[in-house]
Amino acid sequence: MTNINRRDFLKLIGAGSVGTGAGVLYGEVTKQTVELLIPQVIPPEDYSPGIATWYNTTCGQCSAGCGISVRTREGRAKKIEGNPVHPVNQGRLCSMGQAGLNALYNPDRIRRPLKRNAPGGSFTPISWDEALTTLGRRLGNLKIQGKGNQVTLLSDGVRGHLDKLFATFMQELGSDNYLQYDFAFPNALYKANKILFDIDTLPYYDIKNTNYVLSFGADYLGTWLSPVHYSLAYGHLRQGRGKRRGKCVQIEPRMSLTGANADEWIPAKPGTEGLLAMAIANVIISDDHYRGSDIDDWASAVGSYSPSAVSGQTDITESEIKRIANDFIRHRPALAIAGDNIASGTNAVSNILAINALNYLAGNLNKEGGVIFNKKPSLVQSTQQRHASYIDMMGLRDAMSTGQVDTLIVHNTNPVFNLPNSSRFKEALTKVPYKVSLSSFMDETTDLVDLVLPLNTYLESWGDDIPEPGVGFTTATVLQPVVTPIYDTRSSGDIILTLAHQIGGELPVALPWTNMEDYLKAGWKEIYSGQIANSAFNSFDQFWRKALESGVWGENKTCVPDRKNKTKQVQLNNITIAPEFSGDEKDFPFTLLPYISQTFFDGKGANLPWLQELPDPMTSIVYNSWIELNPATAKKLGIKEGDLINVQSKEGSLQAPAFIFPAIRPDVIAIPIGQGHTQYGRYAKNRGVNPINILESIVDDASNALAWSSTRVKISKTGKHIDLVKTSGVTRTLGRQIFDKPGKHS
Amino acid sequence: MSISVGDAISSFKIPILMGVMVIFGFGIGYLINYTFFSDRSPVQPINFSHKIHVTDNNIQCMHCHAYVDKTPSAGVPSVKKCMGCHKAIATDKPEIIKLTEYWDKQEPIPWIKVHDVPDFVYFTHKRHIKAGIECQTCHGPIETMARVTRVSSLKMPWCVDCHTEKQVENGRDCVTCHK
Repeated sequence: MTNINRRDFLKLIGAGSVGTGAGVLYGEVTKQTVELLIPQVIPPEDYSPGIATWYNTTCGQCSAGCGISVRTREGRAKKIEGNPVHPVNQGRLCSMGQAGLNALYNPDRIRRPLKRNAPGGSFTPISWDEALTTLGRRLGNLKIQGKGNQVTLLSDGVRGHLDKLFATFMQELGSDNYLQYDFAFPNALYKANKILFDIDTLPYYDIKNTNYVLSFGADYLGTWLSPVHYSLAYGHLRQGRGKRRGKCVQIEPRMSLTGANADEWIPAKPGTEGLLAMAIANVIISDDHYRGSDIDDWASAVGSYSPSAVSGQTDITESEIKRIANDFIRHRPALAIAGDNIASGTNAVSNILAINALNYLAGNLNKEGGVIFNKKPSLVQSTQQRHASYIDMMGLRDAMSTGQVDTLIVHNTNPVFNLPNSSRFKEALTKVPYKVSLSSFMDETTDLVDLVLPLNTYLESWGDDIPEPGVGFTTATVLQPVVTPIYDTRSSGDIILTLAHQIGGELPVALPWTNMEDYLKAGWKEIYSGQIANSAFNSFDQFWRKALESGVWGENKTCVPDRKNKTKQVQLNNITIAPEFSGDEKDFPFTLLPYISQTFFDGKGANLPWLQELPDPMTSIVYNSWIELNPATAKKLGIKEGDLINVQSKEGSLQAPAFIFPAIRPDVIAIPIGQGHTQYGRYAKNRGVNPINILESIVDDASNALAWSSTRVKISKTGKHIDLVKTSGVTRTLGRQIFDKPGKHS
Repeated sequence: MSISVGDAISSFKIPILMGVMVIFGFGIGYLINYTFFSDRSPVQPINFSHKIHVTDNNIQCMHCHAYVDKTPSAGVPSVKKCMGCHKAIATDKPEIIKLTEYWDKQEPIPWIKVHDVPDFVYFTHKRHIKAGIECQTCHGPIETMARVTRVSSLKMPWCVDCHTEKQVENGRDCVTCHK
C-alpha cells in the first residue's frame, strides 16, 4: 500500500469532515417545517373538526334582505351562499353577498371601543365598561334634565326588532329624533306609490310572469331594490316558460347591465322619461285601449302630451313612441317600472307617477305579471316610516349647527360620504358637542366622532328582517350569529339594551332584556302566539328552533291584497313633468349621471377587496373611478381613453380618467358611485373619486329627496393620462370579422 | 506491452481519495442526522407516553381520538379531556404538573405534528377506519411508544402501494386524494 504523507492525510480528514457536515446540513434542510397540532382547550359541543356546519341567516350587505347559508368549519365562516328556501333569493346570491366574508375578516375592523382624547386629537382604546358608562351617564343626565330631545339617533335602514328597539329606546329617552338614512333609499318611489295607490310599502313587481318589461332606468339586474330576486325573475321571463319569451325594453340615458340585456335600449333625453310615459299614456287613451269609467279625466290629463308634441323634447321619434305604446298594450300583462337615475331627478315623483299610470291604464294592477300590492308586514310592529329625505337631513344639519343636538348617535351609516359637499353636513356635524358612532369600520363619519363603539358584523349578530320589497306574502327572516365575535365588538342591540340599564329610570322597565337574543325571542314569541291557530308546532321552542334552522318563516299562502286596484284619483293633472338642472346648458353642457355601482352599492362595499378586484360588468374596469363618455363627445374634445378629465359643476370639481363608452348619450357623462373614500380602511382609502361630492343640493319637491341626477357639468382635459386597469381589450373588432361572419367562429 | 491504469491515475490519487471521503462523510453525516436528530420523533412540550395510556392502562384509542371514525381528522384530545382524568390521577408527576399549568392558564398545548400530509392531499381518517384499517397499519406500534415516532414515509408511493395492494376502488385515481 502506498504511503500517505502527513499533508495528504490531513487533506483526506478535512474532506471527510466537510462531507459529514454537508450530510448533516442536508438532512436538516430536507426536514419538513415544524407544524403545530393545537388542541382545543375546551371542545365545543356544536361541531366536529373537519365537518362543515351550515347556518342560515340574513344578508346585511344591502337592503334587499336575502337569506344566506353560511358554511362554517371549526367555528370559522368559510363561504356564503344563498338560502334555497328563502323566497327573495331562492338559493342565489350576488357578489356583494358573497363578499360578506371580507367584512367579517377585514383587517381594518375596529377591534375595541375608542375615545377621542381632545377635540381634533387622536383615538385611545378604552374598555366597554368605560365607554358605555360615559355614554350612559351623559344620556341619563340629559334625560333627567328633560333634554332627551337633544339626543339624535341616525341609523341606516334597520328593520324588524332592531328598529323597534331603537324606537322604544329613543322614545323612553324622551327624544323624537330617530332617523334612518340610506343614500340609495327610493324616497320618490315610496312617495309616488303613496300618492297614486295609497300604499306605504313597495308593491311586488312580477317580472317573472310578465310579457313585456318597460323599464325607465330601473337597473333591476344590477342595483334596483332586490336585484337577485329580479334576476331570477328575468331568467324565468326569458327562458323559463317555453315559447312565450318576454320582451324587455330599457329607457335610460346610459346603458346599465339591464339595458345591455334588454331587447331595446332607448336613450331618451335625461329627465324627460316622464314625458315619454305621458305620451305613451296619450296613445293608449287616444287609440281607445282604455275603457275605464274615469276615461275622461285621464284624457284631459294626458291630452296635451301627444307623441308629436313630446317627440322633440324627449329625442324619441313620434313613430317610436307609438310603437312602444302599442307593444306595451298588446303584450299584456306588461309592467312599467321606474328607478335609479330616472327616479332621482327634480321631477322624480312626477316621472314615477306618469310611469305608474301606465300600469293602471293597461290594467296591470294586482294581477299576475303586473304590479301586485304587498300586505303591510304584520309580523313586527313597524313603528313608522323613518327614512330621512334629503330635506330631513338638512333639518338635522340645521339643528346640529344651531346647537339643538347635544349628543348624536350614528349607527352604521355614513352621511359624510353620502351627502354632497354642498350640503355642509360635515361642518354642522363637527359642531355637535358629543358624537358617538356605532360602526364596524372607520368610515368618514366615524372618523369625526368622539366615541366609537365597534359593532359586530351581521355574521356575528342576532336580529331579524322583513324583506322590502316584499314577495307577495308575509315573511320574516331571523339573523343569527354564525361565528362568535372575532374581536372585542358587540352588536347594536346589546349595546342599546346595556345602555338602557345603565341610564336607569323607566328604561329598564320598558326594556327589561339584557341581550338582543332574549329581546328577539320575546318578540318572536308574540309572532308565534299570533299565528298559533295555523301553527304546526307544539311549543314556542320548537317553532323558534325551526325558524333558526330554515332561516326564514312565512305564511304558507300568498296574501290576498287588502285593497282593490283603484287609484285615489287621477293624479297627473298638476305634476311638474319638466326636469330642472343645476347649472345652465350653455356653461355646463353635460348632464352628470352618478350611478349606484353594482360592486360598491352606495360606497359601503369599497372596503371589501373581493369587490375592489371585481370588474365592473359594463366596462370591465377594476380598482378605480372612471368617467364614461360617448365616442362622439370624446372625438369632438380630443379625449382618448385614460385621459385625466376635469369635471366641473357649480359646486366643485373632480378628476378621473375617461372611458370611451358607446352606450351613453353624447350629452351625458356617467361616473360610478362608491369610490373616493378618504377613510374606510386600506382597500377603500384614496382610491378613485366620489361624484356625490360635486352635486348641487337640489331636491325633488314632491318627495324631498336629493335630485342626484340633476347636476350639469362641464369637462376639460388636464393633459395627464392614467392607464385604466380593465380586463377587456378594445371595444372594437379591429377587422377581426367577429360579428359579420358568425358561422366562421361558431 | 501493458497499459497500467494505475499509473495513469496515480497522479490524481489524492483528489480522488478526497472525493471518496467527501461522499463517505456525507453519508455518515446524513445518517447521524437521521438517527439522532430526526423529525420523525420530535420532543413534545409534554412528554406524553402512549405506552402508559394504552399498554399499561388499557385505554382505547377512540376514547381520546373521538372523531377518528366521524371526520377527516382523528382529533387531538382537548385539554379538558386530559384534565377529565388528570384532575385526580397522577397529579404529582412533573409532566402532569405541566399539563395542569396549561389548563390553569386556559392555553392549548402546542403539540408538534408527527404525521402530516401536504395541504394538497385530501386525507380522511373516517374512510380508512370505515374500511377496517388498523391504526397500527400507518402509525406503527404506537401503543408501545413512549414518544411518538413516525414509521411510515407518508409519501405518495407509500399511499399508492397500499391502495394497489388492497385493490381500493378508484384507489389509483388522482382525484381520490387530490381534489
